Amino acid sequence: MTPVSEPTRPSVLHIFKVYYPDLFGGTLTVIRDICTSLKDAFTSAVLVCSKSADERRNIVVNDIAVERVQSFGDVLSLPAAPTYPWRLWRKIAQHDLLALHAPFPLADLVFAFGLARKRPLVVHWHADIVTHAGLRWFVEPLMRRTLRQAAAIIVSDHVLVDRTPLLREFADKCHAVPFGIDTTKYDWPRIDPQHVNDRGRLVLACGRLVPYKGFEVLIRAAQGRNFEVWIIGEGAERARLEQLIEELGVGDRVRLLGSVPDCERVKLMCIADVFAMPSVTNAETFGLVQLEAMAAGRPVVNTALDTAVPHVARDGIEAITVPPGDSAALGDAIDTLIRDPERRRRMGLAARTRAATRYSAAAFKNGMETVYAQVLAASTSRSATSSATPGWLDVIRIAGALAWSDMRHRYVRSLLGPFWMSLQMAIVVAVLGSVIGQMSNAGVLARLPMLALSMTAWTFLNSVVLDATTALQGSASLIRDRALPPVIFLLQCTFRQALFALHNACVPLVLWLLLTPRDLSHALAALPGLLLFIACTFALSLVLGAMATRYRDLKPIIESSLMLGFLSSPVIWSTEMINHRSTIMRLNPLTHLFAVWREPLVGGHVDTLSIVYVLACLAGLTFASWLTLVHLRKAAFWI
Amino acid sequence: MASISLRNASLDYPLYGAYDHSLKRRLLGHLIREQSGMRIIRAVDNITIEAEAGARIGLAGPNGSGKSTLLRLIAGVYPPSCGSVAIKGNIVPLLGLNAGVNLDFVAEDNIALLLRISGRKPTRAIIDEIWAFTELEERMQRLPLRMFSSGMLMRVLFATATAFPADILLLDEWLSVVDENFSAKAQARLIKLVSQAAIVIIASHDQPLLRRTCSTIINLDHGRVASTVAVEPPATHPFELREKRA
Repeated sequence: MTPVSEPTRPSVLHIFKVYYPDLFGGTLTVIRDICTSLKDAFTSAVLVCSKSADERRNIVVNDIAVERVQSFGDVLSLPAAPTYPWRLWRKIAQHDLLALHAPFPLADLVFAFGLARKRPLVVHWHADIVTHAGLRWFVEPLMRRTLRQAAAIIVSDHVLVDRTPLLREFADKCHAVPFGIDTTKYDWPRIDPQHVNDRGRLVLACGRLVPYKGFEVLIRAAQGRNFEVWIIGEGAERARLEQLIEELGVGDRVRLLGSVPDCERVKLMCIADVFAMPSVTNAETFGLVQLEAMAAGRPVVNTALDTAVPHVARDGIEAITVPPGDSAALGDAIDTLIRDPERRRRMGLAARTRAATRYSAAAFKNGMETVYAQVLAASTSRSATSSATPGWLDVIRIAGALAWSDMRHRYVRSLLGPFWMSLQMAIVVAVLGSVIGQMSNAGVLARLPMLALSMTAWTFLNSVVLDATTALQGSASLIRDRALPPVIFLLQCTFRQALFALHNACVPLVLWLLLTPRDLSHALAALPGLLLFIACTFALSLVLGAMATRYRDLKPIIESSLMLGFLSSPVIWSTEMINHRSTIMRLNPLTHLFAVWREPLVGGHVDTLSIVYVLACLAGLTFASWLTLVHLRKAAFWI
Repeated sequence: MASISLRNASLDYPLYGAYDHSLKRRLLGHLIREQSGMRIIRAVDNITIEAEAGARIGLAGPNGSGKSTLLRLIAGVYPPSCGSVAIKGNIVPLLGLNAGVNLDFVAEDNIALLLRISGRKPTRAIIDEIWAFTELEERMQRLPLRMFSSGMLMRVLFATATAFPADILLLDEWLSVVDENFSAKAQARLIKLVSQAAIVIIASHDQPLLRRTCSTIINLDHGRVASTVAVEPPATHPFELREKRA
């Protein structure tokens, strides 16, 4: 392999269920053709599943890197490869463009959950789901989500868009790029394409031995006639077809050739007299093999499916089209062609001309390249647009940097830095503790760590909210002159106060280590509640911060409400100190906001009511935060 | 590539008076059916600008004609009231140099923080390079900005703000702040920055400056485009610089 000369070549990841050398077939040919014909403009890679016990998971097929994910067999025509979605998700970031070859519900899972939003997606629509139609209710919503995310959908013929309800919904994204074929490959030197065997009676068919290919119909059609049928291909149906051949007694004229190397297949195509494609369901969307037969200058007998099949080789011009599943009509059509060498010659010539002009490899290459390039161009311009305003990660990063610098600033100004605050906290706890000790005769010392921790948490909540009410005005110049999103400065309050709270937390930590039996499991149990507490605090600061910026008279109201809320909540009191909880205390959200983490910390059980109350508060606050975020851009007018 | 596309963009700027910031007043006003006295001015009125890479646009006009507001609208500070604003590329708005400065912090920390705010990772090398440009003494890096004279302060801020190239550069009243000795060097640096940016929009009263630097000058009046003047490409240094780079 030659090293990649231009590193700028965008890379395309082809996503399908199976690839060479595990299987051969039309879809695989298409993928291979895309990879090889676009190799000047794109680097390609393929991610598929493989049942083979072959240890080599990363192989190179025709210069294309192929990764094969272990599969444990097929379930409902799908490879059972539990790690495939994971591998796909991991690989997405390494490529510039994703090409999903549908239908492949396993990959739809990844796309449906939005795990691939960062990369543009092109869906190659090869076929609808036909075989396990009972699973449609489950798979269709997934496929719809995938198609919604796709930047473009490529179909082989426009008729598929008209006939497939799911594609009709996305008709504006669909691009019809007919498959192409290199007809020179079929210039078999010893036989002129115009050659017609006058006494010929060889009917060729080709495809995997699976039910939708309709080989059963072809075998039945051979009964009582005198043409020969050769079928190229391998598959699960083989045993059944062999049995059928035996039952019908046509074993002398019908042969299953099995897999045949490419060059042999070209030779067989060229010496055949009639090519039959008896497919019976719409799973056959295009019929690449009939195009190959056309390239070899053979007349075709195909079936009147709702897909591109009868449009590729048209009835009366390049083919005779018969109703699908009708063995008598199929037999008649073949017989008609066998008996009429002149017609065969005429149709064969027309077929070759159509293959060379309408379905040329160059047109296919151009079509694919155009769609890929358009999608890439659109996505790069979109990503550039999004970089104009800082993303969420940038917002958090800037807020973090600002908060960190605020804290460092405290260290700069004094020797003890923020530990002054810890000292202050220690004094508050000592005074409060002694006062409470006077009021109740229970062990004061044992209650001190909880008192200290509650005060730390309360200080955090109180200062975050109060900080937020003035944060936007304080950062007016950054918002207006550097165009930073206002939400940064509200986030900065939470970050800054969290850093200060960590300093304050020294006091309860020391007390806890000194005064109580250390039980880490209680601390772990309190963690979810603590996270709820922090989430509520942040959401509250977001909402109140924005509102207090718009309405300046809110700040004193917020201040006094917080103080009232504090006094009417059991923050400094413990539950046993108040025997009958007052109604106000029970209605006070602070009571429950503290209960969800305080109770587990002392090994108690959280009241379900508290959890419900806090979750309801959080839901309400989340909704309010969302509204705030929507309107926060206007904050530039308010400051 | 970078581009700016304003289509019939308008911006209604609400002027909040002392009472408009009061929730009580507003609620009471609803009760007693007092007419809302909030005034709205149309700061940007139906402006359409299409700029591709290479555009150098100057905004001219008297005070209050909407130059700065238009720059802020492009920077994304204000949402347009109607019309559309579509920007591709990363914008560096240099609308006020002292945004985000904390005079109590030492110079070094200020530079690091300002770099972080603009999404860059401050490394020792970058900070030293910025400092070298200011031509101030090395030890001053560790002094709080409060102790700097206003001219020194501006050097530091200017050097920091212009340290990195931008796709889209928005400049408001450039250079009016920098002292005389520093001016030539700052000018050269700004011109270099301008020549590297794909799109530059400059708001200024200084007509000769606009004519030197810009390819188009838009005269604004009361938020509307009064006239658009295409400037003959002058053979002065911006051009030479660009050619040298090519």
